[in-house]
Amino acid sequence: MHVLLVEDDPLVASGIVAGLRLHGLTIDHVGTASLADAALSASHFDVCILDLGLPDEDGMKLLHRWRNQGRNLPVLILTARDALNHRVEGLLGGGDDYLVKPFDLDELHARLHVLTRRVAGRSKDCMDHGKLTFCSSTGEVWLEGTPITLARRELALLRALLQNPQAILSAEQLCDSVYGYGQNVESNAISVHIYHLRRKLGKHIVETVRGLGYRLGPASTVGEP
Amino acid sequence: MSLRLRLLLIIGISLSVLWAAVAGWMFMDARQSLRDALDNRLAASARMVAGLVAQFPEPQDIVAAGAKPLDVIAHDGVACEVSLVRGEVTIQTVARTAGSPDLTHAEPGFSTHIYGDKRWRTYVLRQGDVQIATADSIDIREELVRELVLSAGLPFVVALLGSLILVWFGITHGLAPLEHIRDLLARRRSGDDSPLPEVKAPVELRPLLQTIEQLLERLQAAIVRERRFTDSAAHELRTPLTGVKTHIQVAKLASKQQAGNATLEAALVSADQGVQQLQNILQRLLELARLDNESIGMEISDPADTVYAAIEAVKPLYGHSAGRVVVQGAEASRPVRVARPLLLAALQNLIDNAMRYASADTPITVRIEPQGHDSMQISVLDEGPGLDAQDRALAVNRFWRKDRKVPGYGLGLSIVNAIARRHGGTLELLEREGPGLEARLVLPTALEAEQS
Repeated sequence: MHVLLVEDDPLVASGIVAGLRLHGLTIDHVGTASLADAALSASHFDVCILDLGLPDEDGMKLLHRWRNQGRNLPVLILTARDALNHRVEGLLGGGDDYLVKPFDLDELHARLHVLTRRVAGRSKDCMDHGKLTFCSSTGEVWLEGTPITLARRELALLRALLQNPQAILSAEQLCDSVYGYGQNVESNAISVHIYHLRRKLGKHIVETVRGLGYRLGPASTVGEP
Repeated sequence: MSLRLRLLLIIGISLSVLWAAVAGWMFMDARQSLRDALDNRLAASARMVAGLVAQFPEPQDIVAAGAKPLDVIAHDGVACEVSLVRGEVTIQTVARTAGSPDLTHAEPGFSTHIYGDKRWRTYVLRQGDVQIATADSIDIREELVRELVLSAGLPFVVALLGSLILVWFGITHGLAPLEHIRDLLARRRSGDDSPLPEVKAPVELRPLLQTIEQLLERLQAAIVRERRFTDSAAHELRTPLTGVKTHIQVAKLASKQQAGNATLEAALVSADQGVQQLQNILQRLLELARLDNESIGMEISDPADTVYAAIEAVKPLYGHSAGRVVVQGAEASRPVRVARPLLLAALQNLIDNAMRYASADTPITVRIEPQGHDSMQISVLDEGPGLDAQDRALAVNRFWRKDRKVPGYGLGLSIVNAIARRHGGTLELLEREGPGLEARLVLPTALEAEQS
């Protein structure tokens, strides 16, 4: 899961970044509304954590603008403003969830998963794809009931593919989802991870679309060597 | 007591008292007239009988004819008696009405006569040796008066009750606009900031309505200020707390996942930073609380001396750029009635603010000059971004911050303001000609005797 964190306080931001990375999420952090705009235009994010007290623009205004521009990524508002009217305004003003500081890291992690799950139209946490079962929040993977151990990057790659089952994802998009936006990564890093995925889950788990990128393989062929 | 009940009581009681007095007066008058009329009837009857008796040949003959007096059937309550006066003591009754009391010894003229257990009103007329006495039963007369009272008083009481009911309805109707306003106010939800809707109110109520509207506006402004304060306070206090909590959880997670010592250590260092921030905020809040409560001493301090100390104190934070602070008018400095640590804290806050917000290549001037005979004015002038009028008014509020990118807690100017006010001085934030802000601290000077 690729998360955009918009938070101006460096201490809080570094905590969230470190915590969510330990939970296996890919996270990018920006400190201002204008940088958040730039990040959203440059890369694909699955969910955004938005602080309202930003230095250059009020978070609610930024959210309004995003919604008016037709950006519909799920947004979790994370703020110190705990009054009822703020929470109601936040949720009616385009927020998908509202969490008051100080919060629990595990709760934040769980809520992010719920948000992405809802966007994908699922009501349970685990996804089935043929013989493959993938539990998003715990990062566990089973093939025909046998647990499979995947590395963190491999999990991120699998998650990105499962969340966009029909779409062709370019190598850059996958790179953003796995490493975060704008990271300097070796050009063949993604193909290395795909090689490992194919080795563990069968070669049909990822299809290569020549010249465009990659796509999730059909459910019927999962697990076949 | 409700206004309606009070009005009803005032109007009801005065109406009842006035009408009762009128009724009492009329009653006394009517009773007297009735008595006079009945007395006249009594006297007239007696004279009529006397006239008749005078027509008889000789009343003595009737007496002689039979010793027993003649009984005449009469209406109950009315009596008449004809007697012969033979001497001063012997009076013989000739004729009388049935059931008549013995009236032979009644006083001449009008009097009240008790016979048996009944009281009679009597009239006695002597004509030669014939005495005619007529009498009315007083009980019957009283009965008449009672009937008169009933027949005249009952409609009066009914009318009084009726008018009280009408007054009740009238008052209710008259108070309806007031009730409407009360209802409007009672139905407002807390936090509703709309003005009162148009109310059709009589002229007397309009000033009240205007006052209520003004009160609502002031209340609204106070609520907005309060909300802004709590929002800022929540942000300033919760942000470091969130940092601490998050990093502690990261540390826990890192040790559970055995993610390596570097992650763990970084998390703990960050948590420690958060604790330090919280500690700084608490320290400042405690300073403010102490300033509010502590009584001020008689200590004095020298502004110029303290300005130099304050510049020295902020130097470690800003290194060589602290050299841009220029002090003017140090020779005019006279001691002020503020303890040195407090004056130092105030000046340090002001100079620190200027250093923070004005860019490093602009000069900062601290100007010391006397103001009048009894005050010193210490101004810190910078060439930074300055503040607009609205911000200048808000800036002394606790937790107010101009720019969240610049580190700070939003408590510095609150502390300076509290120190100034506590010592009978003021803190003013003023616009400068050209860029920048002037923070002007005015403090009362020490008396001559204290200076020596």
